[in-house]
Parts: sequence; C-alpha cells; structure tokens
Amino acid sequence: MLKKILLLSIFILNVLLYAEEENSYGWNVPHTTLNIGGYLDMTYDAKREDAFLFNDIALLFFAHKDKFSIIGEVELSNISLEGKSNQSSDVDLVLERLELIYAIDDKQKIKIGRFHSDIGFWNQAPITILQDTTTKPHMVKHMYPQITTGALYNYQYNNTHAVSFTLQHNNIDLEEDNSFTRDRVIVDRHFAFAYHYTRDLFSWSLSSGMYREYDLKKKSYYAGIGFQYESDNYEIQAELFTQQSNDIKDRPYSGYLQTLFHIQDKQDIVLRFESYKDNVISIKEENYLLGYVYRPWNNIVFKAEYIYHSKLPLNRVVSSISVLF
Amino acid sequence: MSRILSIVLLVSICIHGQDVVIVSDKNFPFNTLKKDEIKAFFLNKRSLIKKQRVLVMNHEYGDDIRICFEKVILHKTKKSLERYWRKAYYQGYKPPKVIKSNSMLLSYLQHVSPAIGYIDSSKLQSKDVKVLYKSECP
Repeated sequence: MLKKILLLSIFILNVLLYAEEENSYGWNVPHTTLNIGGYLDMTYDAKREDAFLFNDIALLFFAHKDKFSIIGEVELSNISLEGKSNQSSDVDLVLERLELIYAIDDKQKIKIGRFHSDIGFWNQAPITILQDTTTKPHMVKHMYPQITTGALYNYQYNNTHAVSFTLQHNNIDLEEDNSFTRDRVIVDRHFAFAYHYTRDLFSWSLSSGMYREYDLKKKSYYAGIGFQYESDNYEIQAELFTQQSNDIKDRPYSGYLQTLFHIQDKQDIVLRFESYKDNVISIKEENYLLGYVYRPWNNIVFKAEYIYHSKLPLNRVVSSISVLF
Repeated sequence: MSRILSIVLLVSICIHGQDVVIVSDKNFPFNTLKKDEIKAFFLNKRSLIKKQRVLVMNHEYGDDIRICFEKVILHKTKKSLERYWRKAYYQGYKPPKVIKSNSMLLSYLQHVSPAIGYIDSSKLQSKDVKVLYKSECP
C-alpha cells in the first residue's frame, strides 16, 4: 500500500512540476551543464499476469563539457501495482544506458558505453512516451539488438545525412547485464551500419548488421529499410526488416505500416498494420492495431489501443500513461 | 569585404520589409550559412564550430518571427518539433535557449561568441552583428 502511495505521489508531483515552457524538460543544475530528469510509464495489459504495471520509473541525466558529453539512464522496472511481480526483490534496478560521447569535430562523434544503436526508428525512441502506441511491432524485439555495449561512430552531414557504425565485441557478465529481465536478446557481438536521410518532414533509413547471441553463439544477419513522413494532419511510418541466421530458424520478414491522424490539437488516432514470419516460433501472422492518443501537455500522454492478432491468442486492449520530466 | 557584404544585406533588408534574418556575433567564424547548416544548429544536430560550443537562441513560442522561422527555415510543424525535442531530450540534447526580446538577443550576440539567433529584419538596427542568411516570411 505504501509503495502504491509513493509511486502515485511521484507521478502526480511530476505532472504538477512540469513547467509549461515548451520543449523543455528536466532540471538544469545551476551554473553547470548537468541536466537531471526522467520519465515514468504505467501500463494496463489484460493479457499480462500483472495487469497494472509501472513499467519504468527512470532517472535521466546528461552533461556537456567542451567536446565531451555524458548521458545516463537508471531505471526501476516492472513494479506491479498488485504486488505480484518479481517476488524476490520486488523491483529491478537497471542501468539502461551510460554513454560517453566525444565530438571529434563539427560532424563526427564517437560514443562508447551502453546505448541504443541507430538501427530502425523505434530503437532511437525506445520509451513509451516517445512512441505513438504502447505495444511495439514484432521487429523491435526480434530483428536487431535493442541495447549495445561497445562503440558507435557517427558522421552527420548538415541536417540531411547521417551515417553510423556500431561495434560490440565483449564478454557478457549476466550478473551485471540485466537485459534478461527486459525480455531482450542478449548479444556479445554486434556490428552494424545505419544511414538516415532527413529532408524537412520526410526521412528514410537503411540499416544492416550482424549480432551473436551470447548463450547459443548463434549469429544472425539483418537488414532493413524504413521511411517517415509528417504533415500538419497526419504522420506515416513504415519499416521492413529481414533476418537470416546460421541455422534454419530465421525470420524472413517483419514489417509494418503505421499512420497517425491528428484529429484534434491534442488528440490522435493511430492505425497499424503489421505482417511477419518468424520461423523461431513457427508463426506467420498479421496484426491490426487501432489506437487513441491524448497528449494534454507536451510531457504527458494517455494511450489506449486494441490489437488484433490473426494467429496468436493475444487480441487485447492495452493502455498506458507516460510522463516525461 | 565581409563588412561590405553585411551592409549590403542590411540595406536590402530595409528595402524589402519583413524578412527573417539569421544573425550571429561579429566574430562568428563564417560570413554566411546555408539553410541546412542553420537547421543543423537549431535542431542541435551540430553544436560546435572550430571546437567551440555555439550558443543558439530561439524566440518564445507564439512569437510571429518564430512562426515564420519554423516555417521557412526549419520546415517543421509544431507537432513535429514537439516530437523532435522529446526524442532529442532522451538522447541528451536540449532545444535552443529561449530569449524574451530582440534586445536580449542582440545583447547576447554582443557578449557571447560564437552565438547565433534570428530576428525580424525590420527590428535589426545593430551593426555589431553579422547577417548570415535572409528569407522572406510568407
């Protein structure tokens, strides 16, 4: 009971503390470049054992000094509001990201640490408040690694072209790597290339890479393409990935087309069609999603969606509240 | 030569009336910027010039000149920018510093280098700044 009151207090406090100054989040420590903020997500999923769940309560911090920047993200994850989750420790404390960035010059950067690579659109906006739906397409968890521990080189040419190379080659210590608690594939090798083109309201991307799962030593090769277009009235986004492995179980394709209609200033309707074939779990299916999004302020979003699966018994309503602070 | 170019730009701005002009401090390393370069600075995709961090300044939300700037330079809608800055914040980037008046903008440009901002051409009277780019408001 105390935990619920504490969590709801944090939630309400963050909503109230949010200043209406547009596009500004977090608290800047005076006379420094250190910025401290965070986010939280609460979801309701009728098909989950813990229907009500605080998915994440996270602390975000970043600072810049000359050519160096540091970004960190620490999460408290999977806090059940029904007291059922993770009976041993109640919550998981996860170091989600820790990045040290060095700007070589005006156009080039090197990043080392634990980070989200530049692969795909969802991986660059991996938290619920940055997304238009609470559920994610199949490809996000299955076609490429979500988290990389290694190095990334980025070349940005003006506002238009961006190229990045990702490199991971290390040994995994499961005591330290909490990825398994997040239902992610854990990798000890990851080499990837990504290209992003942005022109005003249109962008497209191309990605390709290889990763190795640390336990099975199974290598998987993936490639994907995607595009986004934003207008005053609607947004459209699509991606298609393919994956091949060094055994028979691969994922020939996984793609989606998602459209967001701005029906009111703060309200959107989202539609998503998805199709994939996954030989690892021997399934080929189509998913349809209809969702409603309400953003009363810049830093808070309410979402509700119904997702229909043509094969898996996962047809359900999912809803969420997310706050960025 | 660059001083003559700046004067010519200033004179032409006065003749044409309301335009948005991108201005910098007078020691700014470049005399002109391309539109893509301006976008890169204002979207925090580029933050350094000659190894120095650039102070980028924006006007308050709802200001006429900001509406013009976002339309003709950034080519972004309000929703698109909101989405962009939410994502950028997660990636460790903050939006440009918001200044409350043209006099504050010009004061920063006189005291900080490198620094850039934008202003309504009809409000630009200081000669202690460089005009890097000019565009007509719709």
